[in-house]
Amino acid sequence: MFQIGATHFVLVSIIVFAAGVATVLTKRNAIGILIGVELIINAAAINLVAFNRYVWGQGEAGPALDGQMFAIFVIVVAAAEAAIALAVFLNFYNNFSSIDVERADELKG
Amino acid sequence: MTPQTQELIRNCLVGATLLPLLSSAVLILIGKRWLGRCVSSWGATLAMGASMAMAIIALAAWMRAIHPQPILWQKNWIPIPGNDTGWLHLGLLADSLTVVLMVMVSGISFLVHLYSIGYMKGDDRFERFFAYLSLFTFSMLGIVTAAGLTQLFVMWELVGLTSYLLIGFWHERRGPQLASKKAWVMNRIGDAGFIIGFGILFFKLSGNVLLPAAQGALSSSDSLVTMFGAIEQVLATESDAVGVTYSFTNPPLWLTAAGIALFFGAIGKSAQFPLHTWLPDAMEGPTPVSSIVHSATMVAAGVYLTARIYPILTPGAHLFVATIGLITLVMAAAMAMVMTDIKRVLAYSTLSQLGYMILALGAGAYSFALFHLVTHAFFKCCLFQCSGSIINAAHHEQDMRQYGGLGRKLPITTFCYFVCTLAIAGASIPWTVWGISGFYSKDGIIAGTVNYGHAMHEMLGIWAHLFWLGPTVVAYVTVFYMARSFSLTFLGKPRNQDLYAHAHEAPWTMLLPQLCLAAMAVLTAPFILGFWKDLIVISEPQVAWMQTAANLEHGHAMEATHGYLLHGLAWIIMLVLGIVMYLPGMAVSSHIVKIPPINLLYKWAHNKFYFDGLYDIFTVNLFKFIALIAGTFDKYIVDGQIGTIWPGLVNGPALLIKKIANGIGLFDNKVVDGMVNGAANAAQSGGQLLRNAQPGRVRVYVLLLFTAAALIAFVVLTTVTVNASQP
Repeated sequence: MFQIGATHFVLVSIIVFAAGVATVLTKRNAIGILIGVELIINAAAINLVAFNRYVWGQGEAGPALDGQMFAIFVIVVAAAEAAIALAVFLNFYNNFSSIDVERADELKG
Repeated sequence: MTPQTQELIRNCLVGATLLPLLSSAVLILIGKRWLGRCVSSWGATLAMGASMAMAIIALAAWMRAIHPQPILWQKNWIPIPGNDTGWLHLGLLADSLTVVLMVMVSGISFLVHLYSIGYMKGDDRFERFFAYLSLFTFSMLGIVTAAGLTQLFVMWELVGLTSYLLIGFWHERRGPQLASKKAWVMNRIGDAGFIIGFGILFFKLSGNVLLPAAQGALSSSDSLVTMFGAIEQVLATESDAVGVTYSFTNPPLWLTAAGIALFFGAIGKSAQFPLHTWLPDAMEGPTPVSSIVHSATMVAAGVYLTARIYPILTPGAHLFVATIGLITLVMAAAMAMVMTDIKRVLAYSTLSQLGYMILALGAGAYSFALFHLVTHAFFKCCLFQCSGSIINAAHHEQDMRQYGGLGRKLPITTFCYFVCTLAIAGASIPWTVWGISGFYSKDGIIAGTVNYGHAMHEMLGIWAHLFWLGPTVVAYVTVFYMARSFSLTFLGKPRNQDLYAHAHEAPWTMLLPQLCLAAMAVLTAPFILGFWKDLIVISEPQVAWMQTAANLEHGHAMEATHGYLLHGLAWIIMLVLGIVMYLPGMAVSSHIVKIPPINLLYKWAHNKFYFDGLYDIFTVNLFKFIALIAGTFDKYIVDGQIGTIWPGLVNGPALLIKKIANGIGLFDNKVVDGMVNGAANAAQSGGQLLRNAQPGRVRVYVLLLFTAAALIAFVVLTTVTVNASQP
């Protein structure tokens, strides 16, 4: 029986982050990219919670919850970001009749 | 003659002269753009009508005056070098000749303007035509009112210019181009003579070239300033110096030369032999132009000039003038008999009638020459307008062989043409003195030439009789060729059914002037003959020296009338002969012209006595040869040809400069442009290279972002590790 430590949480976070990056890089569908971004954000949130538990440790007035608080903020920001992103996609769809991000190459020099 | 009358006449004449100039200027400036066709044409016509009204007022005032005296109104114009008090004058000379011709010119011009409204309808340059026509009239009125020879010459050249513009009015076609050029060149040749004569007089008279007045002496202060008085003074001075008594009957050579040289100007303008060839060619112009050129303006200018300088012509000059007139009138009548183009027949008849006037002036029948000028103006203008109506009806067919029987289709034109045929033929009621215009004027002229023939008998012998024999015979020839043209056009059977079927009478703007002119042709002579004798007369002191004219009082001329033209109904026989002979077209005459002596004459006349050919061979070819030499010199010596030994004055330096420029151009192309293009190319290829980093795809940016982040993380982490491992 081995002790589950910070290393495991970081590994999970890395896997999720890598999956998110891979998604962002490979997907052409904008929704897919949004999902990849959510994965990256949540990898960061996992780290925040894990480090709060294993590195920050106990405060004088009980267990410290700074990491958890940050994680909640991250989720809130992610929600806001999703809303904005969806609005962007909607406009994108209006302009191109598609949400294929390959189509957005008008700035190409 | 009260000062008020003088002022009235002066103002009317100045107004009548300047009004056509004004309307012409307005039409040229804003005619096409702002006024439009209707306003332009009627405006010019009404201005001409107002001009005519003013001229008539002036004439009426002149006739009503108790003792009419010539009016000289002048302003200094150009100072004469070397003569402190001498000036060339700009002014107005009004005598009986001026006021009469003013009415004639403006009246005929008014009717021609009216006629043109109908005839030129549909032409592209309609407004421009009226501008030229008014300018033409102005220049003729300017000649008639000019006070000095200088001013007259300016207007004289303006007549030449405007006639060039009008004859070549349809300059898109080849014929009018050549005709206008010919008229221009022929007139220049005559004008060269004019300038020589002017130069002689200017030099001899110290620049005093005011024209002598026709009737009555100018007031004593003015009489010396005219050419006539000045010549008398110069003759007196020269007589004292040389010891010979010079006078007009015994003149020095320069005076005769000056008169003949000035008359050369008239030869050109009035189309006399040998410069006559331009007038028939001028038929290429629009018919209204023909009608005004042949009656009141251009050809009248030459007769007017001769009449104006009449007092200074010496007996030698008179003989020259008379001979030229005689040759012209006989030759032109022969050509008029054989032409088949209706306008050409009329053109040659004009030449012949002008010959009458010039002969009459030479022979001393001064007042009848001018009388014929006025009557001829009316009936010839009418004849041309009739021919215009016929051409209009015949869809621009001018060959009389194609006509025939048009009388039934064009009754009014036929009537006018017939009346004017009688007028030009000098028709009269047998055994009476009643006739229409041509009768009186030609009889007067023939009477004058009979007197002249007798006067010259001593000097010329039997040949002197030609001076009266010629005009008498030609008077009957005139009847014949006019009857011929009338018969061919209006009588007989239609020879071209298609043309006959489509013929129609012209619009009223064309018929009205025709009828007016026909009426004038009938009425002028009996109406004005009564006072003409007193109106147009060379004043006594001026005539006194003239031996040839001494026995030429007008009473004589009128008595002589009964003896010549009236003989034995000859004119009626000729008229009937002409009509009957050409009733079946050319069928009869084509046989007659094959009879031996006639066939030769026919051939000559038909080829216009080979004048055009002679001029082509001797003059035109000569000038062409000179032009060829000059052109070759210009081409090879001055310009130079590339590839020959002599590069030429123009092409040589040009070649050198071209080579230098090529060198400079090479430097510019290779070095300067190379630097500029090199910099541009470098910038472009750098841009191309950098451009690859900006593919515009989100994924690539994201990949770069993560790669960069990973690199930074790697660097930071290894650094931290290194730092941590170094205690």
